[in-house]
Amino acid sequence: MSATLARGINAFKEVIDAPIASYFSSCVHCGLCADACLFYNETGEEKYTPIHKLEPLRRVWRQEYTLFGKLGKMLGLSKPVTDAELTEWEPLVYDSCTLCGRCSMVCPVGNDITYMIRKMREGMSASGHAPEDMIAATTRAVNIGSPMGVKWPAVLAQIKHVQAETGIEVPVEKEGADYLVLMSSMEIINFPEYLSALCRIFKQTGVSWTLAQDAFEATNSGIQIGASDLAREIVSRIVVAAERLKVKCVISPECGHAFTALRWEGPNLMGKPYSFDVKHILEVLDELHKAGKLKTKGKDTRPLTYHDPCQITRRGGVVEQPRRLLGEVAADFREMPDAGVMNWCCGGGGGVSANTRAEPLRLQAFKVKKRQFEATGANTLVTACANCRIVLEEGLEHYHMNIPVVGLTEIIAEHLVEGE
Amino acid sequence: MAINNDSEFKSALSNLPRAGQRQVAARFAENVLALSKDARLKNAISTAKRTDITEDELIAAFASAKKASVDSFTQCGTECDWNSQAGHFVARAALACLQPVQPGDSPAWEAAMHARMARTCEGIASGRGTDNAEAAAQYRILTEFLNG
Repeated sequence: MSATLARGINAFKEVIDAPIASYFSSCVHCGLCADACLFYNETGEEKYTPIHKLEPLRRVWRQEYTLFGKLGKMLGLSKPVTDAELTEWEPLVYDSCTLCGRCSMVCPVGNDITYMIRKMREGMSASGHAPEDMIAATTRAVNIGSPMGVKWPAVLAQIKHVQAETGIEVPVEKEGADYLVLMSSMEIINFPEYLSALCRIFKQTGVSWTLAQDAFEATNSGIQIGASDLAREIVSRIVVAAERLKVKCVISPECGHAFTALRWEGPNLMGKPYSFDVKHILEVLDELHKAGKLKTKGKDTRPLTYHDPCQITRRGGVVEQPRRLLGEVAADFREMPDAGVMNWCCGGGGGVSANTRAEPLRLQAFKVKKRQFEATGANTLVTACANCRIVLEEGLEHYHMNIPVVGLTEIIAEHLVEGE
Repeated sequence: MAINNDSEFKSALSNLPRAGQRQVAARFAENVLALSKDARLKNAISTAKRTDITEDELIAAFASAKKASVDSFTQCGTECDWNSQAGHFVARAALACLQPVQPGDSPAWEAAMHARMARTCEGIASGRGTDNAEAAAQYRILTEFLNG
């Protein structure tokens, strides 16, 4: 056995905690998770059955932690996990799983299959079986601070642009602010309109906020690739900045996995509770609206629908907030079939969109989204995740559907009551 | 009439009719066209500048600019090439010229902002910093358009 394979197998052993052991032992092989998976649904290929994607991890569990498995291993009745097998499994674990969590929702015995895939990636990554693109992104996140190589001068450039556009000063390193605002590299590079919208909303609502020079990036590719030590390092930068600036709350941006990484995995990675709250921007906007601080006028008359980002809605619990907010600014809001916690993934989450070789499969899987949109008859698509947004744009373009995709925060900003 | 700041710029743009907004927006996009290598954008911007454009031509040019915009996004997790990203914002400026307009939209202002972002990306790529004269160039373009 090579050293890297041994590292991977050891990582598999380490991640098999009580929940994972109980999940494997309680799986009844019903196959319901297959029907919940967009990749299985759109290809019909059995290899995309979610529980099947975990087979190497299941074998390690059986061989190492069950009596019959141990006996079978001693007698040579069960074959060890090999390097070739992990090579074969790599596309199943990284290309055809967006960690969307839909399979976990339907499992009749309550197995969180997504959690298991997330943990399995730890062993895949340790054994050298992670996609090259994701390795490169993670390396940049650790060395530069951003998976897309964004450095502070680029953020400053966007700040300058937004200040000129809005006439509003963007606060930086403001100690004692209520909110520390994070952004994803995607928003810094592709969507300056997000920061612009925040400036206008926070000015109207009188919110005290700040950016931090050494912790502007919200994304966490350590979570996606399956490297908890790197994920911890990335989370710790935000924690250090939030504590230094003494903020009450950190705002996760319109990015799905950033919210999962910071809000749900973060305290466990750090091994302690935060001294501040973490909220998604939609939660903050909804709170401001409920408090009567966020005031809008007029309604968008276009028929529009909302794509629920998996990590924000299904895995994150932010379900009603976007609907309440859309209710304030949309005259003709139409729900997709399966909207909310059972929404279908855009196909690009969990690092899939960063993985070039997965593109043909991702576009094939997008057909389910196409059907969802077509069922609504809407001509505008709203979402709250910058990665979803680009994946949706690509999918719509691929299938020749002329539907603009916009961020929810931006739509709210477009309807603000300003200057009063 | 001379335009010297964003307040005057925005106000003058908002007084333009839809066709005027499209034509001046096309000029803003054209001013940064050299930052893109995408031939589709040159055609789209040329079309947007025309006064005799038909609805069908507008739709075709919009589709072309949209494709160029989607093709040039920096994907999540990909290392950003700021030169390519400048090209993406040129595409979005072109798209702003051609997109169907909703009440309250300001396509020319939107195109101007994307063109400025394109120039900013060029500044980041070259290491020259982000100070540039794109806003001043846009004031001049608009002044000439209004006086022309």
